[in-house]
Amino acid sequence: MITGARKGETSWLRRLAARASSKELAAFVVPGPEVARAFGLDLGAAGLRVVPSPRHASVLVVVGGLPEGLRDAASVIYAQMMRPRAVLVLGSDTASPLPGPDVSAPMDQESLSAAVARLRRAFAEGAWDPGVEDYAPEAAATETRYTCPMHPEVVQKEPGACPKCGMDLVPREVSSGESDGEEEEEEEAGELHHGSMDHGEHGSGGHEHMDHTDMGFMSMVEMTRDLQPSGDGLRMEWVEVPFGPLFPGLPGGLALTFTLDGDTVACVQSGSAVGRGGGCLQGVPVDDLLEHLGRIDPLSPVAYRVLALRAVENAAGVEPARATAYLGALEHERVVSHLGWLSSFGYLIGYEWLHRRAAGLQLALLRDDTGEGETLWGDLSDLLQRLRGATLLRRRLEGVGRLRTARAAEYPGPVSRAAGLPYDVRSEEKAYQDLGFEPAVQEGNDAYSRLMLHLDEMERSQEIVQAVGSVSAPDDLGVQDGISGEGDATVETPRGPARLRVRIEDGMVRSAELETPSGRHAQLVEDVALEHEVADALAGVASLDLSPWGMTR
Amino acid sequence: MTVFLVLVMLFAGAYLVAVLEGWTSTGRLRFAGPFWAAVALLGRESIVPRKPDRVLYETAPVLLLVSAVLAAAVLPLGPHLVIADLATGALAVNAALAYVMVALVMAGWGPDGAYAMVAGWRFLGQLVAYSMLIVMPITAVAMRAGSLVTTTIVESQAGIWNALTQPLGFVLFFLAAMAVCFLPPFDLPTAPGELAGGIEAEYAGPRLAVVRLARMVLVVSLSLAVTVFFLGGWLGPFLPGWAWTSLKTLVVAATMLTAGRYVPRLRGEHVMEWGWKLGIPLALVNIFWVGITLVLRSM
Repeated sequence: MITGARKGETSWLRRLAARASSKELAAFVVPGPEVARAFGLDLGAAGLRVVPSPRHASVLVVVGGLPEGLRDAASVIYAQMMRPRAVLVLGSDTASPLPGPDVSAPMDQESLSAAVARLRRAFAEGAWDPGVEDYAPEAAATETRYTCPMHPEVVQKEPGACPKCGMDLVPREVSSGESDGEEEEEEEAGELHHGSMDHGEHGSGGHEHMDHTDMGFMSMVEMTRDLQPSGDGLRMEWVEVPFGPLFPGLPGGLALTFTLDGDTVACVQSGSAVGRGGGCLQGVPVDDLLEHLGRIDPLSPVAYRVLALRAVENAAGVEPARATAYLGALEHERVVSHLGWLSSFGYLIGYEWLHRRAAGLQLALLRDDTGEGETLWGDLSDLLQRLRGATLLRRRLEGVGRLRTARAAEYPGPVSRAAGLPYDVRSEEKAYQDLGFEPAVQEGNDAYSRLMLHLDEMERSQEIVQAVGSVSAPDDLGVQDGISGEGDATVETPRGPARLRVRIEDGMVRSAELETPSGRHAQLVEDVALEHEVADALAGVASLDLSPWGMTR
Repeated sequence: MTVFLVLVMLFAGAYLVAVLEGWTSTGRLRFAGPFWAAVALLGRESIVPRKPDRVLYETAPVLLLVSAVLAAAVLPLGPHLVIADLATGALAVNAALAYVMVALVMAGWGPDGAYAMVAGWRFLGQLVAYSMLIVMPITAVAMRAGSLVTTTIVESQAGIWNALTQPLGFVLFFLAAMAVCFLPPFDLPTAPGELAGGIEAEYAGPRLAVVRLARMVLVVSLSLAVTVFFLGGWLGPFLPGWAWTSLKTLVVAATMLTAGRYVPRLRGEHVMEWGWKLGIPLALVNIFWVGITLVLRSM
């Protein structure tokens, strides 16, 4: 039996449907498919078809436990899924506040395949159940408020007449605890709905509703009379639409909300639901610093481990003798991370071949301990060559997400290098200089040049990995116990330079300051999205290669 | 009897196209795949969004299916295997396809959701881009046949297929047909990465099954239209007429389904820009070219 079974007795017809649903497992992935891939999990090969809408999903896959900031969003997503539905948790035993989990498994491909087989059996046997309970997540609960159709700022708890124009107030739902009936911001589309049906409501997880139906018929002229004309001179009703934190085209955890004026982005709000809280490294024993930092960003764990190592070595006054040893690991991760980004970006812009090819290569490179490296590098070169010659890709992306050069210069990393600025932390490091490293640079400062820069960087990283040979990542600090001192290190992660400053006393971290590239780049979201068509705005945001894990919450 | 036969073949074609689509997306050829997928959808809940425009929401999938079937009704599978051999058959195809846009705008507006709404209006723009590119190549085809009757159009290709005499019209019609079916790279109204499924995002269970079926039938209808207008319909040696039509239609459908995987989704403004600034002049050149060849031949 599954926790999300449909209510009812079984019959032969239902058994047939149950068998069918066990064969067609469609998955919605939390935090996102890119996290599953970063852990080396191939959901497709395990038999799960990843779908963009929770309405079409039958399995909610939680990868690596449910981060606190995603709990509400995930429970609303689960509530939107149609029964029969189930929860599969990987790398953790619980996913509260979600029910179940129906199946949980460790995070490796074999366990995943076994877990999917168990899920199939559970669906085939228990898709219908007479005693099933309703699921009503707190995050989707709503209260009724009364508001004036003409004066949205008027909001009351009781029905009545509008104090400004005397019109009858109309009911409207807001998420509970959101408003006390006082003056309220325009929350129309940001509200969460919960109705008489036990689930299937919409919420911040992904899908939003506009709310005209209470107003009765109004002509376009009436509806838009008091509205300010937009940049294009048209008066339109603005709709606030969430594109995250669980949106199929963007990295999971990136909480992006566009206010749409037609299909043009009029306002942007962005943030991270999975980012770091402040002071998370304080009081950590130095020995655990490596593990702690390695867990910060599942999309590039090696870079942060190397960062921890270098900062501690710097604090201990040790010569960074092992710096070269980890070049291979860093650059290998850069290729893998860029491929992951390429795959997600391909999905966003509807480039199916790129989405699959990049994901396939990413997974193969992550698992590359079989000595297939040479053929993989050949495949990678083919991919790069093909993308560089793709005319329609250039037409699709040129001019999208363009920044002013002065603006890009404030944000070192791939974004500034795609604007023709050759700054790269690596070119200052001796180990890289010895290999004749020169940073890749592209002109254009738009989504296309960022894509091309990613390709160039992959090529250079591949050369370094081949030159160095070893791709082993640091697994211990190798410093003496009870060290004290102040350390400062910078590492060029796949998304740009990350800097860690630590003060260590007697083997404990007293204070730590971590600057991440995505934390900085998050400020560019508005620049690339505002006043653009929604698809271009999304492509612009995705081209920044943000990691929500590195942003501040 | 003909009606029944054509409908059976239409839905059998839709089934095979669904098998092909499964093959292209998963790499596994499963003949039972669409059956299980359909049964799974029928066995799932189908909840109506919170504040839908109920009439539009419920009608849209059915209207999409009806318009796809209507378009196929005037297209012959064999010399006598056509539901309605209208005197204005070639135009009736176009008239039936107009309702595809209506259905999608309804599916976009009906559920009262932002993603679906943007998706629905996107398709209205797409219609503006593709509709002339459906009509104008048909005009050139009808000029050669000297008739709008679809069976006459097929018979006019006995010597040589229209695809060979009017390659420009063929390419334009093929691309426009992909845009009608909102297949990639013209999948602006479904756009999984941008709008989480767009017009499909709010449909689930049996209603989603109808949307998917309608989409498949639409692909078959448009592939059949390409076959009838440009690839000589039932004409071919050895095999019976209906077999040739089916074979050609399936090949066209398979090409439509796979071609879009290798290019990114087009931007809405590019679809419009290229449709009007490039497509329509080329379609005019095509008509002009066919006119000249007809005049030269009659001299």
